[in-house]
Amino acid sequence: MSLTRRNFLAWAGLSAVGAVSCAIPRKEQELAIESPVRLPEDLVEGLDNWYATLCRQCPCAEGVLVRVMEGRAKKVQGNPVYPVNQGKQSVRCDGGLQALYHPHRLAGPMQRSGPRGSGQFQAISWDAALAALGQQLAANGSGMVLATEPLRAHLGLIAGRFAQAFGGKHLGFETLDQVTLRAALESVYQQPLLPDFDLAQANYLLSFGADFLSTWLSPTRYGQAYGQFRHGEGRKERGIHVQVEPRFSMTAANADRWIPIGPGWEGHLALSMAQVIISEGLQAPGVNINAITGGKGAAALEPFRPEAVAGKIGLPEGLLEGHSAADVIKELARDFAKHRPSLAVGGGSAGAHSNGLFNLKAIYALNYLVGSVGTAGGVKFNAGLPLNELPSNASVGSLADWKKVAADINSGATKLLMVHQADLAYGLPASVGMVQAFQREGLFIASFSTFLDETSAQADLILPDRVYLEDWGSDVPDPAPGYPVLGVQQPVVNPLSDYDPRSFGDVLLAVAQQQGKAANLPWATLRDALRESSDKLFALRRGSIRAGSADEFWRTMLQRGGWWDESAGIRNVAAPSAPAGLLAQIAGEAAAPVFSGPEAESFHLLPFSHNSLLDGRNSHLPWAQGAPDPVTTVTWQTWVELNEHKAKEMGLREGDVVKVESAAGSISGLTYLNPALPPDVVGIPLGQGRRHGSEYASGRLPEESSNVMDLLDGAQVQGSGGLAWAAARVRVTATGTSRRVSKFEGTSMAREIGETPGERIIHITSPSNSGGH
Amino acid sequence: MKLGRNMVPLALVGLGTSLILLVVVVVVGIAWYSNPPFGLGDAPPQPIAFPHTVHAGAPEQGGQGIQCEFCHRNVTKGAAATVPAVEQCLFCHQQVTGTTETARVEIAKVKASFENNTPIQWERVHRVPDHVRFVHEAHIRFFTEGETPETQLPVSQVCSVCHGDVAGMTVVAPKPGQSLKMGTCLDCHRQNNIPTDCTVCHQ
Amino acid sequence: MATERIDHKWGMVIDVDRCTGCQACVVACQAENNVPMNTPDRFLERRAYEWIRIERYWEGEFPKVKARFIPILCQHCGNAPCEPVCPVYATYHNDQGLNVQVYNRCVGTRYCINNCPYQVRFFNWWEPQWPNTLQNQLNPDVTVRSRGIMEKCTFCIQRLRRAELALERQEGGRINDQNLAERNLAPACVAACPTSALMFGDQNDPNSKIRPYFEDANTHSERERKTRGYRLLEEMGTGANVIYLKKVEQYPLKQGESHG
Repeated sequence: MSLTRRNFLAWAGLSAVGAVSCAIPRKEQELAIESPVRLPEDLVEGLDNWYATLCRQCPCAEGVLVRVMEGRAKKVQGNPVYPVNQGKQSVRCDGGLQALYHPHRLAGPMQRSGPRGSGQFQAISWDAALAALGQQLAANGSGMVLATEPLRAHLGLIAGRFAQAFGGKHLGFETLDQVTLRAALESVYQQPLLPDFDLAQANYLLSFGADFLSTWLSPTRYGQAYGQFRHGEGRKERGIHVQVEPRFSMTAANADRWIPIGPGWEGHLALSMAQVIISEGLQAPGVNINAITGGKGAAALEPFRPEAVAGKIGLPEGLLEGHSAADVIKELARDFAKHRPSLAVGGGSAGAHSNGLFNLKAIYALNYLVGSVGTAGGVKFNAGLPLNELPSNASVGSLADWKKVAADINSGATKLLMVHQADLAYGLPASVGMVQAFQREGLFIASFSTFLDETSAQADLILPDRVYLEDWGSDVPDPAPGYPVLGVQQPVVNPLSDYDPRSFGDVLLAVAQQQGKAANLPWATLRDALRESSDKLFALRRGSIRAGSADEFWRTMLQRGGWWDESAGIRNVAAPSAPAGLLAQIAGEAAAPVFSGPEAESFHLLPFSHNSLLDGRNSHLPWAQGAPDPVTTVTWQTWVELNEHKAKEMGLREGDVVKVESAAGSISGLTYLNPALPPDVVGIPLGQGRRHGSEYASGRLPEESSNVMDLLDGAQVQGSGGLAWAAARVRVTATGTSRRVSKFEGTSMAREIGETPGERIIHITSPSNSGGH
Repeated sequence: MKLGRNMVPLALVGLGTSLILLVVVVVVGIAWYSNPPFGLGDAPPQPIAFPHTVHAGAPEQGGQGIQCEFCHRNVTKGAAATVPAVEQCLFCHQQVTGTTETARVEIAKVKASFENNTPIQWERVHRVPDHVRFVHEAHIRFFTEGETPETQLPVSQVCSVCHGDVAGMTVVAPKPGQSLKMGTCLDCHRQNNIPTDCTVCHQ
Repeated sequence: MATERIDHKWGMVIDVDRCTGCQACVVACQAENNVPMNTPDRFLERRAYEWIRIERYWEGEFPKVKARFIPILCQHCGNAPCEPVCPVYATYHNDQGLNVQVYNRCVGTRYCINNCPYQVRFFNWWEPQWPNTLQNQLNPDVTVRSRGIMEKCTFCIQRLRRAELALERQEGGRINDQNLAERNLAPACVAACPTSALMFGDQNDPNSKIRPYFEDANTHSERERKTRGYRLLEEMGTGANVIYLKKVEQYPLKQGESHG
């Protein structure tokens, strides 16, 4: 054989392969082919099936398609026909696969074998576990609390009726609750359900604190609409987005203009804008100013003249460029009024101050002035599902409710706590005293957690739930997309043979049956309940599915991932007219934000939901941990964002471990120098600081992984009872130690030559040059 | 003869070089002949003595004449040819329980597998490495649905190009002289004017 | 059966003005392509694997500050700097416009990574590790790269090959933007992107959404273009098959106009 170049390469290459293959013996399993015993019809080896179901990685429950090959889920993708996310997905969706095949998943039921909180458990059988739970319910059912994630649709119905049947109560738990937002929206728009914000058709979007591109309400839906808002097909002009927020969030980073306002003053700014709009007559045609101001006109908002509030709301000098702060407010009001359809949304930290309810009401009232209530490019309202019994509104407990739960446990009124994906020990401020209440003699905690977390580590009994990709379920999106939707979740794979989880819904039904309390729960399984609703929808004969029989309807619904009725949208819900004297009334409620904690040499603490970990529910998933935070690019750690110059003044460098102290407690984290943070603000993400459960979440040092909820003292929003999580002031001090920040920026350095590397990479143009997209 | 003092290092270099060369030759030799694409040996013993002659052999030679794709039904649908599910064996073997003692014993194993719900672990005979994606379906389709007589073959003839006359084997063995190495793939692709881009097989 | 082969030239258009930096593409890619797990150590070593990544650039100082996001992945250069330096032809340009990394040819010299101006190639310094149970998620269509091998974005070649087989060989149709999306065969990042900042298609398909951008970029210099298109580091002449659309700076606003 002649030694050609190709031969030489082959030999050289093969010797390398040979060396490797000699050293590492081939795996045994590669040499066997398994004949499956039975072959389901839809399982063709080497071919993939895509099943429609719902994603439960975040509360908005997007519709997804899951790719299944040989009985294993391989990929999650947005369901193109599902109205909420329209084929798109968030950074969190694929994480469901890791939850499914997680190495630290709980295999089966367990009971506590060590002292409470030790995390020591021993395996028991399902029969024993269900008997133990039944015994507890029989003895202590009245006064029982069933704490879950905010549940909607069938599981919400079952959980509610279950608690009722035993004389207990069902509460949904949200770490950064939306209680205030719901109260504000209901008060301003007189609608019980969260509305849909039509970003796609808006021309000017003014967001006060709502991080809607990252974690707020329904981020994938808003992201999808945001693409349209910027460069939608058939759109003439690119939408303008202004973000008013004291912290530089991911959404603020995307805004055309970011207005860093003093924390808690959003409402004053909104009313000041309203004052400008009314006094300059900039309102949309047909808006009855007399009615909305209670007949007083601009005078109703006299205390909110730009000149009067300009000094309070904390606009930084550098933003003004020689103008007065009042001019900035006026310009904002004029732009907002002129570039119609314009839309104001508010949420996040704006609603998490002592005056949060006032802030949000003032913000949402702006939409009346520009005629954006019930119109395209504005706020659209949702009609409920035609199946009245299914709750479409998550029954969320406010901070006051949780304080009551802790008090009831302490007084002995509550002797049984059942927990499903509500990590009370981790997500409630320490001042609620939930962990202390757990120590009370005679309290029995049953957890339905799939993974060990801070609350289930305290439990007496763990009955692991199925991961949602293995389970039935349903959802009534909240906010819905402007028309009724029932999303259906179906099992796409079976649990691996080593695991023996049981569906939470099925367990509740079985226990109710066993205890003779199933009068209102006439289903054997969750699937039966779904099927019953399917038959009812079929009988309505409207909406997205036309079927000849109930069976066909059911199958089609499973295929498409749900049922919806676009015709029953905006037409069925009349746009509310503004309540008489709304602005005058809101103006009367105005209050300055009240802060707790040290006043001198301190910062405003702004906690925020992590882009992929959210409130910590995804912290056991390596993909979620390893997805860089969009703004700081930090992964796996708790970072403390400080203004770059301020931090340097304090002698802090990146990675310095700092102690953050509030009135309620202290935590530590790693300094991150953020050039875009106001000097008087410190931002800390939620999601880390676990001490129990998966080592992906708990396996790091306390100084680089801590729980920001430990800093909150449980202040409440006046009027709504929600948690005022942005109302704490904290002191930041160096500890003298330093650790490296595991961040993504700087990983690819080759191109970062020169002063402003971004200029070579991101080219910028003006709107006039961007015609033809 | 006495080695000059200055020749000792030279001899050591020579010895070293030949040692390295020897190692290289041995490694390359092992790699070449043990590389999985070459097949995994002659005919590994299988957990159940499954005679392809009886099932797929021509009727005039005492076989049932079952087409390949009847059992390996995925071969015309997807990437993997797949071995049939035990369930499928029992379509016939509920009734056919064997005429000889050996047959009865072997068929009983199939039944036992079904009843005990334990998959059968077959020994692999043909294998390409993990970084190769071979799609059976595309190859079968090309040679059965083409426009020239050479590409309008019955399925079983297409199979035998690489797998040999399996219908004539009592124990499945690789086709004598048939390499499953890349060169063989490329030769065939070139002959039939099929793309030879790396990504066709390596993904 | 369709015997005629359709020539494709794949291309991607990335609208920087739509990218919100949400990272959905990053995780979707990791899930689809068996990308090794990025543990904290990987980030500390600056060796995190992200076939597609979001770069964030700061501009200005508080309060007039901007953060700008841009997704960066292999540009599939028509004139790729990584290709001529590979001593074993493990990276080459194929007839569909892809820059291909052939894992089984790669001997790990890492010359290509040093010659790539976009830093989109990743070398496997370790054997990739997943806990046993997590291996159930691995995509069987994608080779797991072992230690000593270079890897990078493939435009989800496994999906494109499936598309060719299913849509063109079996059904006799032609791949287009719609059927790629409908069959879940568009690259994973494109399918995931909430704002549709990523668009993918065939430059040879006259109806593809991406084609006008490529026509414009290929026939006009950056100044004369009608679209916002530009290539990353265009002055290097890499002839990338990825086109970026410029970020739009809205302010100062045009005053006094009302949009009906």
